[in-house]
Amino acid sequence: MTQLKSGERQLAMILSGLVLLAGFLLAAAGHGDPMGVHGWIVVLFAAVILVVAMRALDDPEPTEDRTMSYYDDPTKVGIVIALLWAVVGMGMGVWVAAQLAWPDLRFDAAWSSFGRIRPVHTSGVIFGFGGNALIATSFHVMQRTSRARLAGQVSPWFVLLGFNLFCIVAASGYIMGVTQSKEYAEPEWYADIWLVIVWVVYFILYMRTLARRNEPHIYVANWYYMSFILVVAILHIVNNLAVPASWGGAKSYSLFSGVQDAMTQWWYGHNAVAFFLTTGFLGMLYYFLPKRAERPIYSYRLSILSFWGIVFFYIWVGSHHLHYTALPQWVQTLGMTFSVMLLIPSWASAGNALMTLNGAWGKVRDDATLRFMMVAAVFYGLSTFEGSFMAVRAVNSLSHYTDWTVGHVHAGAMGWVALITFGSIYALTPVLWRKKTMYSWKLVEWHFWLALSGTVIYVFAMWNSGITQGLMWRTYTESGTLAYSFTDTLVAMHPYYIARAAGGALFLAGAVLALYNVVMTIRRVPDHAPHLDYPTNSEAAEPAVPAGE
Amino acid sequence: MEMSHEFTLVLAKSFGLFYLIALSIGITAYAFWPSLGNRFDTAAKSILDDEDGPCR
Amino acid sequence: MWRKLLSPFARLFEFQAKTHYRAERHSMALTIGIIAAASVGGIVEIAPLFTIDDTVEAAPDMRVYTPLEQAGRDIYIREGCYACHSQMIRSLQDEVDRYGPYSLAVESQYDHPMLWGSKRTGPDLARVGEKYSDDWQVRHLVDPRDLVPESVMPQYAFLLETQLETASLPDRLAALRTVGVPYTDEQIENAASDALGQSRPETDRADGVAERYGDATNIRTFDGRTDLLTEMDALVAYLQILGGLTDVAAETQPARGE
Ligand code: HEM
Ligand code: HEM
Repeated sequence: MTQLKSGERQLAMILSGLVLLAGFLLAAAGHGDPMGVHGWIVVLFAAVILVVAMRALDDPEPTEDRTMSYYDDPTKVGIVIALLWAVVGMGMGVWVAAQLAWPDLRFDAAWSSFGRIRPVHTSGVIFGFGGNALIATSFHVMQRTSRARLAGQVSPWFVLLGFNLFCIVAASGYIMGVTQSKEYAEPEWYADIWLVIVWVVYFILYMRTLARRNEPHIYVANWYYMSFILVVAILHIVNNLAVPASWGGAKSYSLFSGVQDAMTQWWYGHNAVAFFLTTGFLGMLYYFLPKRAERPIYSYRLSILSFWGIVFFYIWVGSHHLHYTALPQWVQTLGMTFSVMLLIPSWASAGNALMTLNGAWGKVRDDATLRFMMVAAVFYGLSTFEGSFMAVRAVNSLSHYTDWTVGHVHAGAMGWVALITFGSIYALTPVLWRKKTMYSWKLVEWHFWLALSGTVIYVFAMWNSGITQGLMWRTYTESGTLAYSFTDTLVAMHPYYIARAAGGALFLAGAVLALYNVVMTIRRVPDHAPHLDYPTNSEAAEPAVPAGE
Repeated sequence: MEMSHEFTLVLAKSFGLFYLIALSIGITAYAFWPSLGNRFDTAAKSILDDEDGPCR
Repeated sequence: MWRKLLSPFARLFEFQAKTHYRAERHSMALTIGIIAAASVGGIVEIAPLFTIDDTVEAAPDMRVYTPLEQAGRDIYIREGCYACHSQMIRSLQDEVDRYGPYSLAVESQYDHPMLWGSKRTGPDLARVGEKYSDDWQVRHLVDPRDLVPESVMPQYAFLLETQLETASLPDRLAALRTVGVPYTDEQIENAASDALGQSRPETDRADGVAERYGDATNIRTFDGRTDLLTEMDALVAYLQILGGLTDVAAETQPARGE
């Protein structure tokens, strides 16, 4: 708040007031329906912000010249929120995993059944943890690489808080049974509409900040973030087209049905993987890894080539989720072909990252933060290889519907997405809060080994369980009948489910350490440099003509 | 006009193929355009030291 | 205070007026490039599917879900059953042997959204209809481990105690009609009554259901409770019709297998 001028504070008040009103509308229209509960959640959320803004309304104006510094407050808040979601989302993951090992672990309540809390896990980690981390780091990266302050004081808060409102509505909705059933796009129509608004503001903010930059070329990390913002918007809008049953209830029906719906859903689904779980995080990789290693990226050209390769190829591969189904075969073949081609740009990115570290292995050995990023790049290479392999029809006939898919998902999600995020957060925290180091490098080291062992245990357990089950399903006796009943496979998988829950618990423990370490860094480590820093280099001393004006 | 399934298929596939080829040529050309080399190098190095604050 | 509150609107207006928005060249080019590269794949793959009706098997006997079945389907979605059960039998020999004829595109023609699923923590349900008795289904939902000790499925005993909400059914069928399911006006008007009727054989309401949805419709007290129309009724009615909307799969498939 201290950095906002009074006009901006008013704007913040008005915006939260509008959201408050919308909440009331929702609550009134959805009376007696879960949508009404959502209305009250929105009201509460907006009221808190309104009060915060109102209390600061008459505070003194900020004195410093704001254009002389980066605007880091939203990034700071975003990082902490991301870590909170990490603990919540992964905690849910461990619970979900435990339910598959011990199905009665659920207090016998309606809301706690596997089907309702599983999406809380997936959305919690993907959108809550991943999304907030992406938004926060993108604010950081776009400012530093453009050498420009965020183009707006209120809009970054709108994006960050608005996105979190979406996450809260989503998660609370699943528990009440509000879902469209489309994987990774479960929230109902009103939440979807809200996300579109937030996203448009996000995009405009990004474009305007870029427009303030100082040199014509846009650093490649921003490309990745841009593709994340843009394509997620397209995917989200198309896949969520639906007709609400009434304006007074949450329930809606997808515009598409059957085959068309399946293809649209997995076109969305896989590109959620691509543009949420991959390109955004590659943006992180391309900024924080060179930065931390203090070496420029190995080949900038290669990063451009792989960027376009990824953007182009990924869009085609959704149909590999539908092999041997009622989807026309030519679409399946297309998906398979492009999935295999996709390996080239994917490995180019992973290789580029590892080659950057070539010659700095000493640093990797000593610095757990850099090691997080290195291992993330390795897991990225691994899971994309595995993915391309699983996209081959013959392999998919075995892996589909089994835990092999789940193993693949978590090799990517834990090994790649979560590790690169933790690495980036550890690199970013001291810089943001102007501290010399993290509170405890030993805890970072501990986190690294917890995360790595957790991931390895999880992934190996699922590979075993998935392949075992896939093989059991298709085993015939000599007389030509199926050898195993479905329940036989459940018995075989039980030990792996226990192992998975244990691995997940290790991973969760690491995330808790991360949150603790970051909070302690903020509170305990002495400041390193003045909070406000002035341009010192020659380039900045002479006021350059900003691009585009 | 009759939009039969076969017709849209052929259209989609042939157009898709040309698009793929054109795009890859275009991008490779861009990435390896000699005069852009300097710009890329500067960009790659530019992030290493950027904590000095914005220029405007 | 009011002045302070209103001034930003004035400023917003100014901002609108001077929209010399920096349509800055490089970032615009990037935006357009990304959209161009990213949209085509989707268009090429998805667009032809909308003309697919030419190629899909015809199923003249295909019927729509009754209101009770649709209500059950909505519960299936609400509880997240799709997270563990697929409804898509692939054209592989072992799946056909285990679950029945492989699924055809027409069979999910009226499924908004489709529930093909992506993970089989439990078995496929595409043809589970009439595989077990109503009583088995109810007992299994109340406590799965009562019947299948190894099962990891959650208990859904509360469904048997919860009254089914039927007042919104006409709205729901109407929304479904908007997106393409051929419900008639009459079916929409009587949706709430038909939902009850399907669970109350030998009544006038039940006759209405048979009249509007065909004599082959399952009209039974699915959950065994005649005092209350429960969510269990709806869910079991839905489960019992899975795979039974049309017989085209069984008729056209001399096991192909790949
Ligand atoms: C503490 C660590 C974690 C544990 C214990 C855990 C556990 C689980 C479990 C039990 C499932 C359900 C699998 C099934 O239905 O059979 C699941 C699904 C999923 N999880 Fe996690 N998870 C963890 C971390 C993460 C992270 C960090 C991410 C993403 C950034 C993630 C993303 C997902 C996704 C996308 C799915 C859905 C997979 C599918 O539909 O095939 N998980 N997880
Ligand atoms: C070249 C890259 C990749 C390819 C070709 C690929 C391919 C695949 C394939 C074939 C499946 C199984 C579909 C099925 O049988 O149902 C799958 C599932 C999945 N993959 Fe990947 N993958 C790649 C990279 C990644 C990465 C980096 C992540 C990161 C998190 C990821 C996350 C997922 C998720 C979440 C699913 C589960 C979707 C679901 O069923 O809910 N993939 N992928």
